[in-house]
Amino acid sequence: MLVLGIETATPQVGVAIGGHEGVIASFHTARDRRHAETLAPAIQFLCAQTRIDLNEIGVVAVDIGPGLFTGLRVGLATAKALAHACKIPMIGISSLDLAAFPARFSDRLIVSTVDARRGEIFYATYRRTAGGIQRISEPRVDQPDNVANQLTAQGEDCLVVGDGAQRYAETFQILRGVEIGEEGFRYPNAGSLVELAHPRALREEFVSSSEIEPLYLRAPDARINWQKRERS
Amino acid sequence: MTTVLGIETSCDETAAAVVVDGRDVLSNVVSSQVDLHARYGGVVPEIAGRAHESLLTPVVAEAMVEAGVTSHDIDVVAATRGPGLIGSLLIGVSAAKALSLGWNVPFIGINHHEAHLYAALLEEPELEFPLLVMLVSGGHTMLIEFQAHGRYRLLGATVDDAAGEAFDKVARYLGLGYPGGPAIDELSQQGDPQAIKFTPPMRNDGLDFSFSGLKTAVVNYVRQHPDVETADVAASFQAAVVDVLTHKAQRAAREIGATGICLAGGVAANSELREKVLDICVEDGIQGFLPSRAMCTDNAAMVAATAWWRMDSDGPSPLDLGADPSLKLPFIDS
Ligand SMILES: [Zn+2]
Repeated sequence: MLVLGIETATPQVGVAIGGHEGVIASFHTARDRRHAETLAPAIQFLCAQTRIDLNEIGVVAVDIGPGLFTGLRVGLATAKALAHACKIPMIGISSLDLAAFPARFSDRLIVSTVDARRGEIFYATYRRTAGGIQRISEPRVDQPDNVANQLTAQGEDCLVVGDGAQRYAETFQILRGVEIGEEGFRYPNAGSLVELAHPRALREEFVSSSEIEPLYLRAPDARINWQKRERS
Repeated sequence: MTTVLGIETSCDETAAAVVVDGRDVLSNVVSSQVDLHARYGGVVPEIAGRAHESLLTPVVAEAMVEAGVTSHDIDVVAATRGPGLIGSLLIGVSAAKALSLGWNVPFIGINHHEAHLYAALLEEPELEFPLLVMLVSGGHTMLIEFQAHGRYRLLGATVDDAAGEAFDKVARYLGLGYPGGPAIDELSQQGDPQAIKFTPPMRNDGLDFSFSGLKTAVVNYVRQHPDVETADVAASFQAAVVDVLTHKAQRAAREIGATGICLAGGVAANSELREKVLDICVEDGIQGFLPSRAMCTDNAAMVAATAWWRMDSDGPSPLDLGADPSLKLPFIDS
């Protein structure tokens, strides 16, 4: 079964197509945060280059966050509309799962992070398993210092990955037994999304577009935008 | 025959509609988020973004079912690309582009203001140009000469608050809740519009508007007369707004030799304004076009109708089109 993966929860836009043979094609850009401008042309380009018609896609996988709210919604709106147009189901996967996935060969405790802005990070912890990784804590949002203290208290060797780890490298670097993931682990990858979604698609663990819910982990900021308002 | 699926998510309404050839409305579904924002007294962008994300796909599906069409019947997918709240606009634009990819049909991005102008044409296809359009909403107050399809000249605009904004702010001050327009309209029915003499600034001066001084006048009056009937204040305030709007609309219509006056935008649902605009049209022997209330407020049928005209003149938009929160109408110079 062919899977189309859409990932826009960070400053990066990612699209990938894959199936039983793994990732067939992928596109990523992390320039200028032009999610809405880039995403549809990227999907069109990948389909054209692989000569795969969108009607051959069996499932749409999407990063459901946590991450940048607007970018996240561009991906969700696109993925849901594609699933509706092509009458196919969806699979939602957390950005933290995606950021942790490339670290699956480490024996350390994997701490996956996504920069949450405003001095906070989204994070969850994972452990290596036979088939890949398993999440062992609920996704949360907190200040890097608090996360660092928690890791120190746990006293276990860890590998901290994701753009939250990159941004607050100074906070994590000084901790004993803590290693920071390299640049390649910075953003969730659309290829990882396809790889994680494919076995789930085969097990028919998919849902309809109305059942996909973004993982915001933060209440909306209730500020009224009087200037930009156009209520009519 | 061209069937357009229109999508509108510029502010706090999630809407989708199916319209044939720019005039036959097969469906027009609007899911209002007004209750979500009411407790804040205005539209909260992040709450709007979250609601659009969860509502849009079901609203599109409902619009298609209601229209009795399937994906094979849709020839064009259109979405509002501005002006409006950027986070809200991006959801409609992204979904529309994805639908156009999935169905392999053209996508077109639409100007929300232009869509409001076409709302009247949607219901009255026999309009003759030039027309004087008064676009009055929470964000804008404009007098526009509609010369031909896609040809607009700006005759006058507000220099500060929009008319709808004045309604919202006065309603908030009077404790009438949100949105303010319908609240003031309703309460005014029980008040005396002659009770207090409010005069908006710039009444006899050019074709531009100013409403912020009027709001201040209302606040000052209520402070000095705490026992005044709120209904009288609402009615007198509304009378002053409607008076200056119709007064300038009449002058503008005469200046350009308009065949008629069209109302557009959310404030065009105001019952006093509708009545007074018809009065001046009768007085000057020209036609008055008042879109139905559903067509005054934000909806996707007007987006789909505009798309039909824009496909004809401009063709489809590229798939890398983004949203523009401050998109302007393409005015020509006088
Ligand atoms: Zn509007």
